[in-house]
This record gives sequence, C-alpha cells and structure tokens, in this order.
Amino acid sequence: MRELVTIQVGDYANFVGSHFWNFQDELLGLASDPNADSVFKNHDINMDVLYRSGETHQGKPSYTPRLVSINLKGSLGSMSSHGTLYKEEAPAPSDILTWTGGVSTQAHTPRNKNLFLQRLYEEENLSTVNEKNGSNNGSHNEYQDKDIIESLENDVQFWTDYSKVHYHSRSLYELSGVWTDVDEFDNYGNGTNSFSWSSQGEEISDSLRFFVEECDHIQGFQFLVDDSGGFSAVAAEFLENIVDEYKNTPILLYTVRGPGPSASPQSRKRTILGDLHDAVSFSRLSSYCKLIVPVGLPSLSKSKASKFLHVEDEKHYHSSAVYAAALHSISLPFRMLPVGPTTAACSVSGAVDVHGVIQMLSGQGRQNIVSVLDVAMPAYALNGGPNQLSLLENLQPLTPQVAEDVEDMQAVEYMTVHGALAPGGHHASVSEVKDKVDAAFLRANTRPMFRHLSVARSPLPIPLPFPSIFGNHVGQHGEFIGSEMTSSSSKGSIDVYSIPMAARLRSSSAVLPLLESKLQNLHRFGIQRGAAGAEILRSWGFGKEELEEMEEMLSKMVSTLCPPHFSSDSD
Amino acid sequence: MSVRVLNPNAEVLNKSAALHMNINAAKGLQDVLKTNLGPKGTIKMLVGGAGDIKLTKDGNTLLKEMQIQNPTAIMIARTAVAQDDISGDGTTSTVLFIGELMKQSERRIDEGMHPRVLVDGFEIAKRATLQFLEKFKTPVVMGDDPDREILKMVARTTLRTKLYEALADQLTDIVVNGILCIRKPEEPIDLFMVEIMHMRHKFDVDTRLVEGLVLDHGSRHPDMKRHAENCYILTCNVSLEYEKSEVNAGFFYSNAEQREAMVAAERRQVDERVKKIIELKHKVCSDNDSNFVVINQKGIDPPSLDMLAREGIIALRRAKRRNMERLVLACGGEAVNSVDDLTSESLGWAGLVYEHVLGEEKYTFVENVKNPHSCTILIKGPNDHTIAQIKDAVRDGLRAVKNTIEDESVVLGAGAFEVAARQYLVNEVKKTVKGRAQLGVEAFADALLVVPKTLAENSGLDTQDVIIALEAEHDRGNIVGLNQNTGEPLDPQLEGIFDNYSVKRQIINSGPVIASQLLLVDEVIRAGRNMRKPT
Repeated sequence: MRELVTIQVGDYANFVGSHFWNFQDELLGLASDPNADSVFKNHDINMDVLYRSGETHQGKPSYTPRLVSINLKGSLGSMSSHGTLYKEEAPAPSDILTWTGGVSTQAHTPRNKNLFLQRLYEEENLSTVNEKNGSNNGSHNEYQDKDIIESLENDVQFWTDYSKVHYHSRSLYELSGVWTDVDEFDNYGNGTNSFSWSSQGEEISDSLRFFVEECDHIQGFQFLVDDSGGFSAVAAEFLENIVDEYKNTPILLYTVRGPGPSASPQSRKRTILGDLHDAVSFSRLSSYCKLIVPVGLPSLSKSKASKFLHVEDEKHYHSSAVYAAALHSISLPFRMLPVGPTTAACSVSGAVDVHGVIQMLSGQGRQNIVSVLDVAMPAYALNGGPNQLSLLENLQPLTPQVAEDVEDMQAVEYMTVHGALAPGGHHASVSEVKDKVDAAFLRANTRPMFRHLSVARSPLPIPLPFPSIFGNHVGQHGEFIGSEMTSSSSKGSIDVYSIPMAARLRSSSAVLPLLESKLQNLHRFGIQRGAAGAEILRSWGFGKEELEEMEEMLSKMVSTLCPPHFSSDSD
Repeated sequence: MSVRVLNPNAEVLNKSAALHMNINAAKGLQDVLKTNLGPKGTIKMLVGGAGDIKLTKDGNTLLKEMQIQNPTAIMIARTAVAQDDISGDGTTSTVLFIGELMKQSERRIDEGMHPRVLVDGFEIAKRATLQFLEKFKTPVVMGDDPDREILKMVARTTLRTKLYEALADQLTDIVVNGILCIRKPEEPIDLFMVEIMHMRHKFDVDTRLVEGLVLDHGSRHPDMKRHAENCYILTCNVSLEYEKSEVNAGFFYSNAEQREAMVAAERRQVDERVKKIIELKHKVCSDNDSNFVVINQKGIDPPSLDMLAREGIIALRRAKRRNMERLVLACGGEAVNSVDDLTSESLGWAGLVYEHVLGEEKYTFVENVKNPHSCTILIKGPNDHTIAQIKDAVRDGLRAVKNTIEDESVVLGAGAFEVAARQYLVNEVKKTVKGRAQLGVEAFADALLVVPKTLAENSGLDTQDVIIALEAEHDRGNIVGLNQNTGEPLDPQLEGIFDNYSVKRQIINSGPVIASQLLLVDEVIRAGRNMRKPT
C-alpha cells in the first residue's frame, strides 16, 4: 500500500479540505451501508491510503485521516483542538494538580454548535448508550434535514461547522500568537513576521512525522495551501522543511484561494501589495515542489465551470465544495488498487501514484511544473450533454488566468472520470467510459501529446452538509433533466444523491498568462528601478538577489512554455 | 489639531488624554498579570470557546494567549515577550515594573511635572541601579565542577513559582542534573540536548530524568524484541525503502517481465544496504549476550524490516532529526550517512533498550548509557493541560540553571534586591542629582518596590506594614527579603532564594525604556486608511 499524507495550511485550504474529507467519510459510510447503491461497494479503492487506524486513549478503535491541518488560533470554531474523538472528559476545577494556591478561571463563552453538529453529536451519543445526561435526554427533537441545510446555508463561519469527520488529535494545529479576525494576516510579510519556524515549526513537523512514521511506504504529500495571505509564508517554510526531511517523497501542491472581494474600489497601494504578494508567494511555493496546481477563480459563480451550479461567491462554504470535488476526483487514482488489464469486470482502471502523475505532467519534455485543473461538475452522460457536447468539452478550468483555445502540441493530460452515466441512466462500466472518451479524443480538434485516463465506477457521493449549489438541470444522480421550470431555488444534498465527475490536470501553455502576469508584476513593482513596491518587499525580508533569483525562475518557467519559434525538443 | 485640517475624520487625543490612555493601558496589563507573581500567586485557567483548557502561571504564556488589542498594551506585551525570549523568565516582572513606573509617573504628572523631566530621572536612576546590581550580585564560581547547591536553589526559586512545592522540589533535581549532564566545559550549553518528552500516563510525580533518550516511536515489526540488553546502537540516515529512482530516467520497458526485472534490480540495491548492516551485526555481536539496534532517520519498508527482524535486529525508522545528534551524544559512536563505511567504531552502546506502549502510542527508551551528554526529561501527567504546564515550568527551570552557569552570578530574591536598590537610590543617588530630575529618580525607586509589594499582596499581607518592616530591617544593615508566610523579613541567603542575574538586568534595562517612550507621547492620532499617502 502506498500511503498519502495530506497537509492543509490556511483558512481556505481547510474549507476545501473539510469538504474533501466529508466526501471520503461519505464513501466509507456508503461502503458499509447495506442499503446503499452497489457502485459504492467496490473493493478496488483503498481508503487506507488516506486514513490510518489507531485507537483512542479509552482504547476504542479509530479511523482518522492522515492529515496535518494548520490554521490561525480561534479558527476551529466549536471543535476542540484535540479533535472530537480524542477529546478528554470535561475537566473540573479540581483537576488542577500542579498548583495548590488560588485559581482564577477565564472562560471564553462556549461556541454554540450549529444544528448539524448538534445532530452529529446526538447520533453519536445514541450509538454509545452509556452516558445519559438528564438535560439532553428529554429533548429528543429530531432535527429535520431541511432545517440543518438551511442553517448551514446561512451561517457557516468556520470550516469545522460542516465537518462530519473525526480528526486525530495530532492533526489540528493552531498557530499560537495569531488570532483569526484580530490580527492582520493577509500578505507574505505578515506571515513571515508573525510566524517563526524556529519556535513553532518543531511541533508542526513532529505532527507530520507522527503520520509519516506509520507509513510503510509513503507515496507522497498532498499539500493544500491558502495562498491568498500570510499562510504562503508559513507553507513555504513548512515545504522547505519537508523537502529537507523527506527528500525523495513527491509533493503535489495545490494553492487554493476563495473568490476575491467583488471588485471593491481598492487603493493603488493595496493593489500593488496584492500583486506583489501573489507573485512572491507563487514563486516561493513553486520552488519547493515538482508540481504546482493553482486553484481558485476570482469569481467562480460567473465562470464556465459553474454552468450547472449556483455558487455564491461570498460564501467560502459554497466555492470550496466545488474545488474539493475536483480534488477528490484527481486523488481517486492514487488509491485505486492496481489491477491487471484482463479483469474486465473491475470497477476501476488507470491506477497511478503521485510520483507517476508528477512524472507524467512535469517530468518529461518541457518540465513545466505548473498544471491547470479542469473540472466537469457534473460530468455529461456518455451519450452527450444537453447540446450533444461531449464529455471533453464539458471540462472547464478552475485555475485562474488561463488562456482558452490554445493549440499546444506538447500538452500532457491526466484525466479522471468517475461515475459517468451510460445512456440508460445507470453507471457506465469502465470499458464503456474508456471507449467513449477515446472516441471523443479522436474527434477533438486539439489533441494532447500524451494523456492518461483513470476511470472509476463510483460517482461522487453528496454528503448531507454539502451546500445547495446544484442548478435545476441536475437530477438525483447527476443526470441532466430537460425541464427547466421545477423550482427556482438551487438543489442540495436532499435532492441530489450523487453526481458523475470528471477532472483533469493539464500541463499546457494555457497557463502562460498566469505566469507572465506574475513575472510582470514582480518586475514592475518589485525589481525595476524606482519600483513602487520595492520598499514593501524589503520589509518582507527579501534582498535584491533573492528577488532577481525569483524573477529568473519565473522567466524560466515562461520560456519553457513559449519557445521563440517552433522547436521540438522531445525525442 | 492640524491633523484635523488635513483629515476631518481623524481622531485625535491630545496631551493629557493621550498620556492617560497609555497609563491606563499599562495599569490594565499590570492588573491582569499581578496575581501571577511569586509562589503565592494564583494560577490562571483559560477555557477556550471549544472547551480547550490551558493552565498557566507564566506571564509569557498568558500574554500570548490574550487577544490584546490596545496598541499601548501590545507594545508593552511585546517587550515582555522579548524579555522571555532573551532570558527565559521575568515576563510578569517586566509588565509589573512598566505598569508601576507609569503609575508613579501619573501621580507626579498630575502634580504638574513634565514627563520629560521624569524621563531624565529614569535614565539616571536606571544607570545607577545597574551599577548597584553589579555590586549587589552574588558571584558564583562555575569552573569544572559547578556548585550544585546554588544551581538547585536558583532552579527551586523559579519552579516554586510555577508548580506546587513538592513537585517543584522534585523537578529541581531533575532540571539541575539534566543541565549538568549536557554541560561540556568551555562550550555554551545547548538546551536542545535535553529532550523533553511527555506521556499521558500516571501522575505528575512520576516525572523523571532519563539518562539516555526516549523516542516517541517504536519498531514496526511484530517479531522484533521489545526489550533488549547490552545493545549496540547504529545511528544512521540511510534510506532503507524502495524508492523509484529520482532522476528523469523513467522506466522503459516493453513487457511485463522486463518491468519486473527493473523493479527487482531497484529492490536489490536496498537489500544490499540492509545486508551490510546485518554483516556488521554479525561482526560485533559474536557472543549471544549483546543485541543490535538500528535507529534510522529515513524510512525502512516492510521487506527491509523483515530481513532485519530475522537477524534479531531491532529497527526504528523516521527518527527525529534532532535525536540523531542526541543519540550520538548519549550513546557514543557517530551518525552514519552511508552503509559503505560501516565500522564498529561508529556504533554507540546502551545497556538497556525497551519499548513502552500506551494505546496507539509507542515509546522506546534507550537507557543505561555509559557517558551521556544528552538526556531526556520524561514528563508524566494524567491529562494534557497538566503536562503542558509542567513542560512550561521545566523549560523555565532549565533556562534558569543555564543562565546561572553562564552569568556566573546570582541575585538574592524574595524582593531583597528591590528593597536594597530603592534605599540606595533614595539615600544616595538622589542627593547627587540636581534639580527636578530628583523626582524622576524617586519615582523610579518607588516603582522598584512593586515586586515586594505584589508578593505581599498575593500572600494576603498588608503591603504598607511589609514595606515598612523591610525598610527598617534594611536600614539596620541587613539584606532582607519577604517571608511570604509570615510577612516578616527574612534572609534570602539562608532560605536559598536566588534569582537570575541576567533576568534582573534585562528587566531594569528594558522597563524604563518603554515607560519613557510611552510617557513622551503627547498626541495619539487614529486616522482612516485614506490618510495614508499612496506611494
């Protein structure tokens, strides 16, 4: 088995991660549920890749994600930093064993659990029928699913508010000294100033070591970072440390960010600050990994990727769900059991590990380390979507600043399709999907140089706390319904049980605009003589040489993608 | 009010209002931390929004846990936290001292004094106090064999302010022995060489010093021994797991057999490395009494573990980087980076290696080593917040002992220095100062008394009585500290109450600087973002 350790750094990364783990939890639940659809009951997907088994202090067995999550102090909401499973019993003041003198208690007002968490909690208590608290016992009010969804729609404040997963006590780490909502933590400089690796890094890397040590044969790290603020600096330090410690373990880096503020008039100074931050954090982060995937559109709701979705940009709860779904699809092949080509009846095909994906996308030919993430959510059925468009045309980028319709002879694609629906409305078999996609490729106008296809039969299950973001066209199993006038509101987990998904990582010159703008901003605001942001960069602790190094690195990335004239260096 | 002309939205606090804002912030912070001070202070229990508990009696921790928003308070808090970074203790005292300086100044400013004059007085008084400290301190000769008693007294003084007496006394021995274990003559002390490990198990009094190392992981093979004596220790940083070759040379194969062959060849390389280790084992463990333990910083995969287990070797993977250094210091030998140059000289030795399992957590003890220069303080406690608090206290204790060895001097505690310094300032320095700066010196001198006053207050004594008694005793020519149980003067030398010299010096240095800055503020402007000039 090849284990995968996930790392989430920053607020938005944890929002995405929370949805991601909810999907995993739902899959686990469906696999053991006798009433569930049979597509979920396959044994070809190995969840142990992402999860670890252990036991709690009380000796109960536990099954928790291999995850290290870093966030600001106070960002865990109502969840204890020891996680839910490993929590200690409520302490009494008499618990203070180390001091015989006076005690003064300063209690923060307890954070209220929302309806969703309350029900989770109650369900748990019912299953372990040992504790019966008089106060909670009487009120056996069954919360309606509808109320729960409504309450989630209206006030999700923390990523823990909609998380149904038990985390290990070593998974959650809060940066001490930096408080959410109190301290400014919105650019690279803030990150370097208020976080010092020497004081807190040891604890973080110890937690990571805890998860890595258990792995017999780790296949890689899946690293999510919220690169919109100070967490870029934290992540850069962390990555440097990981590269140093686990030299040959590949890192798949996603930089995620929420939709930006809706075009508020910003002062010039703040724009420069933002642009510089983006350029610096991109070049710093990309220098530590072999494959970086920038994710996060400035406005998801208006993008093509959300054609069948009703996403509200201002809700991180909404947008992160889309990104998490894409990440889930991309990560499916990492845990498929490798099966021989002969077993036709199997439910997966195209298993590959992190190393394989990175080699495929960035290791060959041009060595372009920046990939584009595309997603089709929900994916069209195999016989085509509403306008007889094929599955391929349904894929839309989640990476910002991507050029459309680029002809790139050297593009490399890595695609996952899972749960695709056959014309009859049932889940298509693996070989059907493969044939159809192959055919679509042959018909397409632009073809990549190389592509890899992974297929699984199981669709993306929609857990209860998933936001109501589906449009009316989407049916119960993610099929497209022709009639458009049912109701105006968007559909959520009550109406939609599962959806077919397709996602793709693409190494192509389509990322050029993104790279060029970063390079340009760095040069114009940071390096040029009399640059407006030179002072800012100095205060972030970057010297001239470092900046020039960054510039050189970025321009190298650009030049690998746009050869001055047509020259093929592939052999 | 010229700012108003430029920006009508700007809020401006003028002279006296600005000053009072600063003074109030300093007093507020002082009030929060006041009850912490000394062995009779109260412990703070902080309960977070999700029910997480933090116990602390440490000013530094408390400041970090508080969401301070007042800009003045932030400034003071930063100074205090910096104090902790530099000398490891004295956060509470710094905050108290700054607060008291502000309070004393307030009284005099209300009587019409100009802050500038006070600040001049502070400067004179500060210099005089530092000189006095040089005279007052008790030199300690460290040499090759440090005076264990003095170190113990310093550690005990610190620990008793953080933990109850019996536990503090127990930890005193642990901390002092730990430092003496890692200390090498002529070299600065590296506190990282004392590993602090915790186990959620048993009680706080089971905390102990392990001369050797405790690792927080165990072997990952069911057949490996859990308990071994007379062990050779191989400390290494060698990958014993099969990795795909890194360079861009991918596998090129045309059929399944070829692929298998490639994989097998790769695998063979790893096996070779394991075999070399086994060879060494056979060489050194010819008799049956000794055992062989491999502690590797990199990974060891199941096939390699199998091979090692078959030969009776205990193997641990993914050891902490810092532990590689500690292991070598504790067991001897050297850390090897390649198996090519393995010799028996690179091996360390430990009398006993055993594993302790607590639920899903495993600990490996490497004990009975010959000549340890690294050791582990193993903290035990029934719950996480107890462990965390003991850990904080142990860190402070270690710093205190380290400071003593490096300062080669200590200062008498229990308020003795403050009382003596105050009398010195009032009786001698003040007379040499001309003009109104005298009042600044006086304010400084009074502010020094905040330490004995607070100690008295926290013990439920009458502060006036205590100060008068102390001063009277002092004027009789004795050095006096406060007995917190009776309120009577005591001789700190006899009671063994000693503070760190460097901590005291730091407090006297930094306190007046911040206080002066805050006093000289005569206008506070809060303006919106649009005030800032676009660059």
